[in-house]
Amino acid sequence: MDRDRQSLLALVQNALEKSGPDALPDFDGLARSLELPPSEVYGLATFYAFLGEKSRGRHTIRVCSGLPCHMEEARSVLTRLEKVLGIEAGQTTPDGRFTLEVVSCIGACDQAPAMLVNDELHGRLTTRKIARVLKSYT
Amino acid sequence: MRPAGAQGRLMTTIDLTIDGQAVSAPPGATILTAAESLGIHIPTLCHAPELTPTGVCRVCLVEVEGARTLVAACHTPVAPGMVVRTQTPRVVKARKAVVELLLTAHTGACVTDLNAHNCLLHKLASDLEVGPPRFQVRKPRFYPPESDNPYVCRDLSKCILCRRCVRACREVAKQDVFSIGFRGFASKVVVGRDEPLTLEVCKDCGVCIDFCPTGALYAPARPAEKG
Repeated sequence: MDRDRQSLLALVQNALEKSGPDALPDFDGLARSLELPPSEVYGLATFYAFLGEKSRGRHTIRVCSGLPCHMEEARSVLTRLEKVLGIEAGQTTPDGRFTLEVVSCIGACDQAPAMLVNDELHGRLTTRKIARVLKSYT
Repeated sequence: MRPAGAQGRLMTTIDLTIDGQAVSAPPGATILTAAESLGIHIPTLCHAPELTPTGVCRVCLVEVEGARTLVAACHTPVAPGMVVRTQTPRVVKARKAVVELLLTAHTGACVTDLNAHNCLLHKLASDLEVGPPRFQVRKPRFYPPESDNPYVCRDLSKCILCRRCVRACREVAKQDVFSIGFRGFASKVVVGRDEPLTLEVCKDCGVCIDFCPTGALYAPARPAEKG
Protein backbone atom coordinates (compact mmCIF):
# COMPACT_ATOMS: atom_id res chain seq x y z
CA MET A 1 0.00 0.00 0.00
CA ASP A 2 1.41 3.34 -0.97
CA ARG A 3 2.06 6.43 1.10
CA ASP A 4 -0.81 8.29 -0.55
CA ARG A 5 -3.32 5.83 0.78
CA GLN A 6 -1.90 6.10 4.27
CA SER A 7 -2.29 9.85 4.35
CA LEU A 8 -5.80 9.76 2.96
CA LEU A 9 -7.66 9.69 6.29
CA ALA A 10 -5.85 12.76 7.64
CA LEU A 11 -6.39 14.61 4.38
CA VAL A 12 -10.11 13.85 4.28
CA GLN A 13 -10.47 15.00 7.90
CA ASN A 14 -8.60 18.15 7.10
CA ALA A 15 -10.72 18.84 4.04
CA LEU A 16 -13.92 18.39 6.06
CA GLU A 17 -12.78 20.78 8.76
CA LYS A 18 -11.91 23.43 6.21
CA SER A 19 -15.07 23.05 4.16
CA GLY A 20 -17.43 24.07 6.96
CA PRO A 21 -20.75 22.57 7.97
CA ASP A 22 -22.66 22.96 4.71
CA ALA A 23 -20.32 22.73 1.77
CA LEU A 24 -18.83 19.40 0.93
CA PRO A 25 -15.10 19.11 0.47
CA ASP A 26 -13.83 18.43 -3.00
CA PHE A 27 -13.34 14.67 -2.62
CA ASP A 28 -12.76 14.18 -6.32
CA GLY A 29 -10.05 16.83 -6.40
CA LEU A 30 -8.43 15.18 -3.40
CA ALA A 31 -8.52 11.83 -5.17
CA ARG A 32 -6.95 13.33 -8.28
CA SER A 33 -4.15 15.02 -6.34
CA LEU A 34 -3.30 11.71 -4.65
CA GLU A 35 -3.73 9.75 -7.87
CA LEU A 36 -6.32 7.58 -6.18
CA PRO A 37 -9.67 6.58 -7.68
CA PRO A 38 -12.61 8.69 -6.43
CA SER A 39 -14.22 5.50 -5.14
CA GLU A 40 -11.34 5.06 -2.71
CA VAL A 41 -11.93 8.45 -1.09
CA TYR A 42 -15.68 7.91 -1.11
CA GLY A 43 -15.25 4.46 0.44
CA LEU A 44 -13.20 5.86 3.29
CA ALA A 45 -15.54 8.80 3.86
CA THR A 46 -18.57 6.50 4.12
CA PHE A 47 -16.83 4.03 6.43
CA TYR A 48 -16.30 6.54 9.22
CA ALA A 49 -19.45 7.97 10.79
CA PHE A 50 -17.58 11.18 11.55
CA LEU A 51 -16.75 11.79 7.91
CA GLY A 52 -20.36 11.51 6.76
CA GLU A 53 -21.55 13.76 4.01
CA LYS A 54 -25.21 14.07 4.91
CA SER A 55 -26.80 17.45 5.47
CA ARG A 56 -26.60 18.28 9.12
CA GLY A 57 -28.49 20.18 11.77
CA ARG A 58 -26.80 22.62 14.10
CA HIS A 59 -26.03 19.80 16.52
CA THR A 60 -25.20 16.23 15.69
CA ILE A 61 -26.23 13.55 18.18
CA ARG A 62 -24.32 10.31 17.82
CA VAL A 63 -25.75 7.43 19.83
CA CYS A 64 -23.25 4.65 20.45
CA SER A 65 -24.35 1.19 19.35
CA GLY A 66 -21.25 -0.63 20.58
CA LEU A 67 -21.69 -3.82 22.56
CA PRO A 68 -21.31 -2.36 26.10
CA CYS A 69 -23.79 0.40 25.27
CA HIS A 70 -26.11 -2.14 23.69
CA MET A 71 -26.01 -4.18 26.91
CA GLU A 72 -26.94 -1.04 28.83
CA GLU A 73 -30.05 -0.44 26.75
CA ALA A 74 -28.66 1.95 24.15
CA ARG A 75 -31.64 0.90 22.05
CA SER A 76 -34.07 2.54 24.46
CA VAL A 77 -31.91 5.67 24.51
CA LEU A 78 -32.29 5.83 20.75
CA THR A 79 -36.02 5.12 20.87
CA ARG A 80 -36.40 7.89 23.44
CA LEU A 81 -34.45 10.37 21.31
CA GLU A 82 -36.42 9.46 18.22
CA LYS A 83 -39.65 10.04 20.11
CA VAL A 84 -38.62 13.33 21.67
CA LEU A 85 -37.14 14.72 18.46
CA GLY A 86 -39.82 13.26 16.22
CA ILE A 87 -37.26 11.92 13.75
CA GLU A 88 -35.57 8.61 13.02
CA ALA A 89 -31.89 7.83 13.15
CA GLY A 90 -30.20 9.35 10.11
CA GLN A 91 -32.59 12.29 9.94
CA THR A 92 -32.48 15.96 10.86
CA THR A 93 -35.23 17.77 12.76
CA PRO A 94 -37.32 20.08 10.55
CA ASP A 95 -36.10 23.12 12.53
CA GLY A 96 -32.53 22.13 11.73
CA ARG A 97 -31.58 21.86 15.38
CA PHE A 98 -30.51 18.23 15.63
CA THR A 99 -29.23 15.47 13.40
CA LEU A 100 -29.57 12.02 14.95
CA GLU A 101 -27.16 9.24 14.11
CA VAL A 102 -26.28 5.77 15.33
CA VAL A 103 -22.56 5.15 15.34
CA SER A 104 -20.11 2.38 16.21
CA CYS A 105 -18.18 2.50 19.48
CA ILE A 106 -17.26 6.01 20.57
CA GLY A 107 -14.84 4.73 23.20
CA ALA A 108 -16.92 5.60 26.23
CA CYS A 109 -17.69 2.02 27.23
CA ASP A 110 -17.19 2.85 30.93
CA GLN A 111 -20.07 5.29 30.71
CA ALA A 112 -22.51 3.16 28.76
CA PRO A 113 -25.02 3.94 27.43
CA ALA A 114 -23.35 6.96 25.94
CA MET A 115 -23.82 9.48 23.17
CA LEU A 116 -21.96 12.40 21.70
CA VAL A 117 -23.59 15.73 21.00
CA ASN A 118 -21.19 17.45 18.63
CA ASP A 119 -17.92 16.64 20.41
CA GLU A 120 -19.30 16.56 23.94
CA LEU A 121 -19.76 13.23 25.66
CA HIS A 122 -22.85 12.34 27.66
CA GLY A 123 -22.74 9.04 29.51
CA ARG A 124 -24.85 6.84 31.78
CA LEU A 125 -27.91 8.10 29.99
CA THR A 126 -31.39 7.87 31.42
CA THR A 127 -34.68 9.19 30.13
CA ARG A 128 -34.51 12.15 32.47
CA LYS A 129 -30.91 12.87 31.58
CA ILE A 130 -31.67 12.85 27.87
CA ALA A 131 -34.26 15.60 28.28
CA ARG A 132 -31.79 17.67 30.28
CA VAL A 133 -29.02 17.22 27.74
CA LEU A 134 -31.23 18.17 24.82
CA LYS A 135 -32.35 21.33 26.59
CA SER A 136 -28.78 22.55 26.84
CA TYR A 137 -28.38 22.67 23.05
CA THR A 138 -30.28 25.38 21.26
CA MET B 1 5.01 -19.08 -6.62
CA ARG B 2 5.47 -15.59 -5.25
CA PRO B 3 9.19 -15.01 -4.52
CA ALA B 4 11.11 -13.60 -7.43
CA GLY B 5 13.68 -15.72 -9.19
CA ALA B 6 16.13 -12.88 -8.63
CA GLN B 7 16.73 -14.13 -5.11
CA GLY B 8 18.05 -17.23 -6.85
CA ARG B 9 20.97 -18.92 -5.23
CA LEU B 10 20.69 -17.11 -1.93
CA MET B 11 17.24 -18.48 -1.39
CA THR B 12 16.98 -20.78 1.57
CA THR B 13 13.94 -22.91 2.13
CA ILE B 14 11.64 -23.02 5.12
CA ASP B 15 10.78 -26.39 6.63
CA LEU B 16 7.37 -26.94 8.10
CA THR B 17 4.81 -29.67 8.64
CA ILE B 18 1.34 -29.75 7.14
CA ASP B 19 -1.05 -32.50 8.17
CA GLY B 20 1.89 -34.56 9.42
CA GLN B 21 3.85 -34.28 6.17
CA ALA B 22 7.17 -32.47 6.07
CA VAL B 23 7.47 -29.84 3.36
CA SER B 24 10.05 -27.27 2.31
CA ALA B 25 8.78 -24.01 0.95
CA PRO B 26 10.58 -20.95 -0.41
CA PRO B 27 10.54 -17.81 1.75
CA GLY B 28 7.45 -15.77 1.05
CA ALA B 29 5.37 -18.86 0.35
CA THR B 30 2.02 -19.02 2.07
CA ILE B 31 0.55 -21.94 3.96
CA LEU B 32 -1.80 -22.34 1.00
CA THR B 33 0.92 -22.63 -1.63
CA ALA B 34 2.96 -24.96 0.58
CA ALA B 35 -0.09 -27.18 1.11
CA GLU B 36 -0.80 -27.20 -2.62
CA SER B 37 2.76 -28.39 -3.28
CA LEU B 38 1.90 -31.42 -1.13
CA GLY B 39 -1.36 -31.95 -2.98
CA ILE B 40 -3.34 -30.91 0.08
CA HIS B 41 -6.48 -29.04 -0.89
CA ILE B 42 -7.58 -26.07 1.20
CA PRO B 43 -10.83 -24.45 0.07
CA THR B 44 -10.59 -20.78 -0.88
CA LEU B 45 -13.00 -18.11 -2.00
CA CYS B 46 -11.55 -14.60 -1.96
CA HIS B 47 -8.19 -15.89 -3.08
CA ALA B 48 -6.95 -15.98 -6.67
CA PRO B 49 -3.34 -16.77 -7.54
CA GLU B 50 -3.08 -13.65 -9.74
CA LEU B 51 -4.21 -11.29 -6.98
CA THR B 52 -2.67 -10.01 -3.77
CA PRO B 53 -3.83 -12.31 -0.97
CA THR B 54 -5.97 -10.46 1.54
CA GLY B 55 -7.54 -13.16 3.69
CA VAL B 56 -10.91 -11.44 3.90
CA CYS B 57 -13.29 -14.37 3.42
CA ARG B 58 -11.81 -16.71 6.06
CA VAL B 59 -12.85 -19.84 4.14
CA CYS B 60 -9.24 -21.12 4.05
CA LEU B 61 -8.86 -21.18 7.84
CA VAL B 62 -6.32 -23.67 9.19
CA GLU B 63 -4.94 -24.52 12.58
CA VAL B 64 -1.36 -23.54 13.39
CA GLU B 65 0.15 -25.05 16.52
CA GLY B 66 0.76 -22.32 19.10
CA ALA B 67 -1.32 -19.72 17.28
CA ARG B 68 -4.02 -18.03 19.33
CA THR B 69 -6.61 -18.25 16.59
CA LEU B 70 -7.15 -20.10 13.35
CA VAL B 71 -5.30 -18.37 10.53
CA ALA B 72 -6.17 -17.83 6.88
CA ALA B 73 -3.89 -20.06 4.79
CA CYS B 74 -4.01 -17.84 1.70
CA HIS B 75 -2.14 -14.91 3.22
CA THR B 76 -0.21 -16.40 6.14
CA PRO B 77 3.46 -16.80 5.27
CA VAL B 78 5.17 -20.05 6.19
CA ALA B 79 7.58 -19.98 9.12
CA PRO B 80 10.31 -22.44 10.14
CA GLY B 81 9.01 -25.31 12.23
CA MET B 82 5.38 -24.36 11.72
CA VAL B 83 2.95 -27.19 12.38
CA VAL B 84 -0.23 -26.77 10.33
CA ARG B 85 -3.40 -28.84 10.38
CA THR B 86 -5.94 -28.31 7.64
CA GLN B 87 -8.69 -30.79 8.48
CA THR B 88 -9.23 -30.87 12.25
CA PRO B 89 -12.82 -30.78 13.57
CA ARG B 90 -12.17 -27.23 14.82
CA VAL B 91 -11.11 -26.13 11.34
CA VAL B 92 -14.01 -27.83 9.59
CA LYS B 93 -16.51 -26.39 12.04
CA ALA B 94 -15.15 -22.88 11.62
CA ARG B 95 -15.11 -23.12 7.82
CA LYS B 96 -18.72 -24.26 7.77
CA ALA B 97 -19.74 -21.37 10.00
CA VAL B 98 -17.86 -18.93 7.76
CA VAL B 99 -19.68 -20.18 4.68
CA GLU B 100 -23.01 -20.06 6.50
CA LEU B 101 -22.39 -16.47 7.51
CA LEU B 102 -21.40 -15.55 3.97
CA LEU B 103 -24.61 -17.11 2.72
CA THR B 104 -26.72 -14.90 4.98
CA ALA B 105 -25.57 -11.82 3.07
CA HIS B 106 -25.82 -13.54 -0.31
CA THR B 107 -29.35 -12.74 -1.35
CA GLY B 108 -30.57 -13.93 -4.66
CA ALA B 109 -32.61 -16.32 -6.68
CA CYS B 110 -29.88 -18.95 -6.57
CA VAL B 111 -32.40 -21.73 -6.07
CA THR B 112 -34.06 -20.95 -9.37
CA ASP B 113 -31.06 -19.37 -11.04
CA LEU B 114 -29.79 -21.36 -14.00
CA ASN B 115 -26.28 -20.12 -13.28
CA ALA B 116 -26.28 -21.09 -9.60
CA HIS B 117 -23.87 -23.92 -10.34
CA ASN B 118 -21.35 -21.22 -11.25
CA CYS B 119 -21.54 -19.78 -7.77
CA LEU B 120 -18.42 -20.68 -5.87
CA LEU B 121 -20.12 -19.99 -2.57
CA HIS B 122 -22.84 -22.51 -3.31
CA LYS B 123 -20.23 -25.02 -4.40
CA LEU B 124 -18.37 -24.50 -1.14
CA ALA B 125 -21.57 -24.85 0.84
CA SER B 126 -22.27 -28.16 -0.80
CA ASP B 127 -18.64 -29.36 -0.55
CA LEU B 128 -18.58 -28.54 3.15
CA GLU B 129 -22.07 -29.97 3.66
CA VAL B 130 -23.25 -26.80 5.28
CA GLY B 131 -26.94 -27.73 5.27
CA PRO B 132 -29.97 -25.54 5.91
CA PRO B 133 -29.38 -22.02 7.22
CA ARG B 134 -29.00 -21.65 10.98
CA PHE B 135 -28.69 -17.89 11.07
CA GLN B 136 -31.82 -15.84 10.78
CA VAL B 137 -31.65 -12.84 8.52
CA ARG B 138 -33.75 -10.02 9.90
CA LYS B 139 -33.36 -7.82 6.88
CA PRO B 140 -32.19 -9.42 3.64
CA ARG B 141 -29.41 -7.61 1.91
CA PHE B 142 -31.00 -6.51 -1.32
CA TYR B 143 -29.86 -4.26 -4.13
CA PRO B 144 -31.62 -3.97 -7.48
CA PRO B 145 -29.60 -5.48 -10.34
CA GLU B 146 -27.82 -2.88 -12.46
CA SER B 147 -27.34 -2.98 -16.19
CA ASP B 148 -26.05 0.48 -17.01
CA ASN B 149 -23.11 -0.99 -18.84
CA PRO B 150 -23.46 -3.08 -22.01
CA TYR B 151 -20.53 -5.28 -21.00
CA VAL B 152 -20.67 -5.62 -17.21
CA CYS B 153 -23.87 -6.05 -15.21
CA ARG B 154 -23.98 -6.04 -11.43
CA ASP B 155 -26.24 -7.77 -8.95
CA LEU B 156 -24.90 -6.60 -5.62
CA SER B 157 -27.39 -8.73 -3.69
CA LYS B 158 -25.19 -11.67 -4.60
CA CYS B 159 -21.96 -9.89 -3.72
CA ILE B 160 -20.18 -11.29 -0.68
CA LEU B 161 -17.55 -8.53 -0.52
CA CYS B 162 -14.62 -10.81 -1.30
CA ARG B 163 -12.94 -7.86 -3.02
CA ARG B 164 -11.77 -9.96 -5.95
CA CYS B 165 -13.21 -7.45 -8.42
CA VAL B 166 -11.58 -4.57 -6.56
CA ARG B 167 -8.19 -6.25 -6.78
CA ALA B 168 -8.65 -7.63 -10.31
CA CYS B 169 -9.59 -4.20 -11.63
CA ARG B 170 -6.67 -2.61 -9.81
CA GLU B 171 -4.01 -5.26 -10.32
CA VAL B 172 -4.92 -7.08 -13.53
CA ALA B 173 -6.91 -4.56 -15.56
CA LYS B 174 -4.97 -1.59 -14.08
CA GLN B 175 -8.16 0.46 -13.95
CA ASP B 176 -9.10 0.91 -10.30
CA VAL B 177 -12.83 1.37 -10.77
CA PHE B 178 -14.09 -0.34 -7.59
CA SER B 179 -13.65 0.28 -3.89
CA ILE B 180 -15.48 -0.81 -0.78
CA GLY B 181 -17.78 1.82 0.70
CA PHE B 182 -19.91 2.12 3.84
CA ARG B 183 -19.61 -0.03 6.90
CA GLY B 184 -20.72 -3.29 8.46
CA PHE B 185 -23.83 -4.84 6.94
CA ALA B 186 -24.22 -1.79 4.67
CA SER B 187 -20.77 -2.35 3.11
CA LYS B 188 -20.83 -2.61 -0.65
CA VAL B 189 -18.62 -2.34 -3.67
CA VAL B 190 -18.82 1.23 -4.91
CA VAL B 191 -17.97 2.87 -8.19
CA GLY B 192 -16.92 6.51 -7.83
CA ARG B 193 -19.29 8.12 -5.35
CA ASP B 194 -21.50 5.08 -5.42
CA GLU B 195 -22.51 5.75 -8.99
CA PRO B 196 -23.78 3.39 -11.67
CA LEU B 197 -21.16 1.39 -13.52
CA THR B 198 -21.42 3.28 -16.79
CA LEU B 199 -19.26 3.10 -19.87
CA GLU B 200 -17.66 6.35 -18.78
CA VAL B 201 -15.97 4.73 -15.81
CA CYS B 202 -15.67 1.17 -17.06
CA LYS B 203 -14.91 -0.06 -20.54
CA ASP B 204 -15.36 -3.53 -21.88
CA CYS B 205 -12.47 -5.54 -20.45
CA GLY B 206 -14.70 -7.72 -18.27
CA VAL B 207 -11.76 -8.90 -16.16
CA CYS B 208 -13.80 -8.46 -12.99
CA ILE B 209 -16.48 -10.81 -14.32
CA ASP B 210 -13.97 -13.63 -14.56
CA PHE B 211 -12.86 -13.05 -11.00
CA CYS B 212 -16.30 -12.71 -9.38
CA PRO B 213 -16.98 -15.98 -7.55
CA THR B 214 -20.71 -15.52 -7.02
CA GLY B 215 -22.06 -14.14 -10.27
CA ALA B 216 -22.62 -10.68 -8.80
CA LEU B 217 -20.80 -9.42 -11.88
CA TYR B 218 -21.87 -10.87 -15.20
CA ALA B 219 -21.99 -10.21 -18.89
CA PRO B 220 -25.42 -9.34 -20.27
CA ALA B 221 -27.24 -12.21 -21.90
CA ARG B 222 -26.86 -10.82 -25.39
CA PRO B 223 -23.82 -8.97 -26.69
CA ALA B 224 -24.35 -5.22 -26.91
CA GLU B 225 -25.25 -3.91 -30.31
CA LYS B 226 -23.35 -1.02 -31.72
CA GLY B 227 -24.99 2.33 -32.52
